Amino acid sequence: MISVRPKNFSANLSAQPAKLDLNNLAPEQVALEIKNLDLYYGNKQALQNISMSIPKGQVTAFIGPSGCGKSTLLRCINRMNDLVDICKITGQINLNGENIYERHTDVAALRRKVGMVFQRPNPFPKSIYENVVYGLRITGENNRRVLDEAVETSLRSAALWKEVKDRLHESALGLSGGQQQRLVIARAIAIQPEVLLLDEPTSALDPISTLTIEELINDLKQQFTVVIVTHNMQQAARVSDQTAFMYMGDLIEYSDTNTLFTTPMKKKTEDYITGRYG
Amino acid sequence: MNKWFKSGAPWVWLSAAGVSISLISVLGLLWLIASRGLSYFWPADIYQFDMTDEQGKNLTVIGEIYDRESIPVSQLVHLDLAIDKSAKTIERLLIKTGNRELVSLDFRWILVPQITQTTLPEDIVVIERRTNGNFYGYIEQIVLDGKAVEESKMDELLERVSDFQAEIAELQTADIGAINYQIERTRLQVRKHQLDDTLTPELALMLKEKVAGLQAEYQVLERALMALREKVARDQIIMRAMDGQRVTINFEDIIKVSFNNKLSFFGKLQMFISQIAAFVSDDPREANTEGGVFPAIFGTVLMVLLMTVIVSPLGVVAAIYLHEYAGNNALTKLLRIAVINLAGVPSIVYGVFGLGFFVYMVGGSLDQLFYAETLPSPTFGTPGVMWSAITLAILTLPVVIVSTEEGLSRIPSAMRHGSLALGATKAETLWRIILPIASPAIMTGIILAIARAAGEVAPLMLVGVVKMAPNLPLDGNFPFLHLDRKFMHLGFHIYDVGFQSPNVEAARPLVYATALLLVSIIVALNMTAVSIRNRLREKYRMLEH
Amino acid sequence: MDNLNIGRHISGQFNEDLERIINHVMHMGGLVEKQLTDALTSVCDADENLAKQVLNNDYLINNAEVSIDDECTRIIAKRQPAAGDLRLVMAIVKTITDLERIGDEAGKIANVTLESLSGKHQDLLSNLDNLGRHVLTFLQATLDAFTRMDVEAAVKVHKSDDKIDREYEALMRQLMTYMMEDPRSIPQVMSVIWSARALERIGDRCQNICEYIIYFVKGKDVRHTMVENFESLN
Repeated sequence: MISVRPKNFSANLSAQPAKLDLNNLAPEQVALEIKNLDLYYGNKQALQNISMSIPKGQVTAFIGPSGCGKSTLLRCINRMNDLVDICKITGQINLNGENIYERHTDVAALRRKVGMVFQRPNPFPKSIYENVVYGLRITGENNRRVLDEAVETSLRSAALWKEVKDRLHESALGLSGGQQQRLVIARAIAIQPEVLLLDEPTSALDPISTLTIEELINDLKQQFTVVIVTHNMQQAARVSDQTAFMYMGDLIEYSDTNTLFTTPMKKKTEDYITGRYG
Repeated sequence: MNKWFKSGAPWVWLSAAGVSISLISVLGLLWLIASRGLSYFWPADIYQFDMTDEQGKNLTVIGEIYDRESIPVSQLVHLDLAIDKSAKTIERLLIKTGNRELVSLDFRWILVPQITQTTLPEDIVVIERRTNGNFYGYIEQIVLDGKAVEESKMDELLERVSDFQAEIAELQTADIGAINYQIERTRLQVRKHQLDDTLTPELALMLKEKVAGLQAEYQVLERALMALREKVARDQIIMRAMDGQRVTINFEDIIKVSFNNKLSFFGKLQMFISQIAAFVSDDPREANTEGGVFPAIFGTVLMVLLMTVIVSPLGVVAAIYLHEYAGNNALTKLLRIAVINLAGVPSIVYGVFGLGFFVYMVGGSLDQLFYAETLPSPTFGTPGVMWSAITLAILTLPVVIVSTEEGLSRIPSAMRHGSLALGATKAETLWRIILPIASPAIMTGIILAIARAAGEVAPLMLVGVVKMAPNLPLDGNFPFLHLDRKFMHLGFHIYDVGFQSPNVEAARPLVYATALLLVSIIVALNMTAVSIRNRLREKYRMLEH
Repeated sequence: MDNLNIGRHISGQFNEDLERIINHVMHMGGLVEKQLTDALTSVCDADENLAKQVLNNDYLINNAEVSIDDECTRIIAKRQPAAGDLRLVMAIVKTITDLERIGDEAGKIANVTLESLSGKHQDLLSNLDNLGRHVLTFLQATLDAFTRMDVEAAVKVHKSDDKIDREYEALMRQLMTYMMEDPRSIPQVMSVIWSARALERIGDRCQNICEYIIYFVKGKDVRHTMVENFESLN
């Protein structure tokens, strides 16, 4: 009578998905492949020979001290660094097998495939509705029905629909900080990107809004590959599947989050995540 | 004491004093202009002074008290007056007596001690006339078609005349003006065909017939006009002046007859308002010293609006280039410094530039290219409202550029990045996000530009303003807006009336009234722009504030 | 202590908290060691007073366990330790549970003393004494390894548990023979067996503690694995 224990007892205990071998991902599992990426601001090298594969449909977090290059690396993925005149990049980043730093790349089209959300909520001073459809309008979509539908689905995906459905045509600036950040996320996913980059998306928010966003990130990975930069190590631990630790422009350690936060391989990682002097 | 200095209180007092001084000077300026300007419209009391002059003769002076002053007795000793020599000063009054056909000057000084009696007779009449200024006196008789009638008929007759006058004006400006304009155009058409060598005999005949037809129409209208003129000239009023002379005044000359001394306060107020309305809506008379300033208001506003239409897109585009597209290098910095320094160039220099470059070079070339038929009389090769607007646009361009650039640089980069990250190009970002957010700053630039342009006179004297323009730049003849025409301007009007008119003394209140008007128009233009800006600001309010 | 590496946190408060907990664990280890020594002494010397003292002092160990547990909970709530710090706290939480059990076992041994054994069983007790000495050394070595967080020592200690097991089995066989020879002495022999059993359990618990040390330092969970695998740690 005692032996009613399920056979695969241990499998049930660990609800964690099977670990991915990040160094040997199958091509269809890879969303982004960064190869030997070097980045210079003028004469200063900000990223040194970064190589990593970001798996599809998962949340990958970049952590590290300020100035370690994690945001810079994130901005490389949708070429926001192009806006900095003195920035020079070598190496490649492959999205769907194509190098985005190819000469002929259409940067605007790339950015539609790789959405980005910034540190501080930056809704445009327009109505909530117009904020969400901004990306669609840019592509020339003006069909009212299509836009309405996109607004509803994106706001639902961003867990904002219930709060704003009665005031879609009011100014987006009247929303709270957390709502604004979710609106910005809705705006980014309205154009159906493949990858969503989040650059410290909760650093300007209160803890409750932060939790809402984290919950949202967890839902978003069903549809998108999410890359998040965060200062908050606990946040990385909570939301991400893979974590990359960067230090002074180097990728120190990149592994699945569970391993990195319990048994990091490198002493620098250990020191950083346990809050020790570098 | 030292403690008091350290407390910071002196600075508070100092800055408060600065604010007070500015406030007092602004309010003082407004009060001076307003009181002097508005008193011009308030119906004055008409006094009758009975006095004895130095020869012992009795005489009567009728008129408004215009000014009073004290003069030292020593100045008057040679006149051998019968006055108290012990008094140090003596008061004298400046009386506006009008009646220009009788005495050459409207004004005369009288000495207070010579006055034996001052009265305010209720039946004194002020007649405002089209020529020769005001007439002060008593009504003797009303003459209707050569026969004397009762005084009470006067209002009726005045109304009849003013109706006819309106009809005449309508006929002259609208109908006859339009025919003249068409005849002139046809003549120019003929000339153009001649110049181009395309004048076929049939065409010539057709145009000739057209002119003939227009001429015939003109004849009809002119006869109608003559008939109206005759009707208007029917009645007269016979007046008795202060010295007993009889003067006959035709009704057609009369603008208004008023019994100032009979008026109650509300009657005066009513008249005050109607005078202001007339000032704002009428054409000037008597070399601008009388009548209204409507053409000047119209010219000022039109020119400023044209200027705004020209300067806003130009300035905004220039600022966008400097801020968004030009590389951050020495050349850009140099350009920026040049733009800022342009704001410091004296305005008359812009006038010279406008005259030399726009009027003579650009305008001259335009004439040769497009208006050869009118030569040698120039169309655009002469000062005009368009050149004025363009010259002032150049003058105010730095203001718009600087404030637009300021507005652009205040936009948080998060906005740009947000838009770019959604796949917008730089141009789309500019058009959809940046410009709307910068619009309050652009409006600020436009407000400053308007304020500067509306008050500018010196360059306009060279590029388009005249003392008296026969036609408004906007009328019912195609193409309606005549950018080549000269125009009148309130600022120049002030200068002209105040310093160039034959009768400076009489024009003084007019100067203040015009100044008040100019200030109110600038304030009104600014207020409109400010309210637009505030609405935009509210719309594009940033969260950070 | 250098393997512990706790002194370098940016937060000095965190350093102090961790150091205090480790000191408390050391102190608790000391208490447990003293209890075991006393229990063994009381058995050998048939010192009932000492045995009573051991039983009375057990509450000290229980209190220590509760308070250290509490401190660990607080650290997890307040500091959200990660990596090494997290493993340290987890290792401590588990270690003190085992230490408390060791304390309980010492109590059981002291109980034997109170079951007044007659003189003829003294040779039984000398065997027990032998095993006790070994277990005591074993415990001391474990605590020593813990103090220094010394993986090599821990592995060594872990392996030497076999020796205790062999000794225990030998003692058991001897006691069996004894019981068969003289069935009347069975109740007394049984109480000796209980103490031997308690000592053997202490050995196992020490082995657990060694595993925690290895987990903390190496980040590998070596429980329920073959001892041979330990070699791959280095």
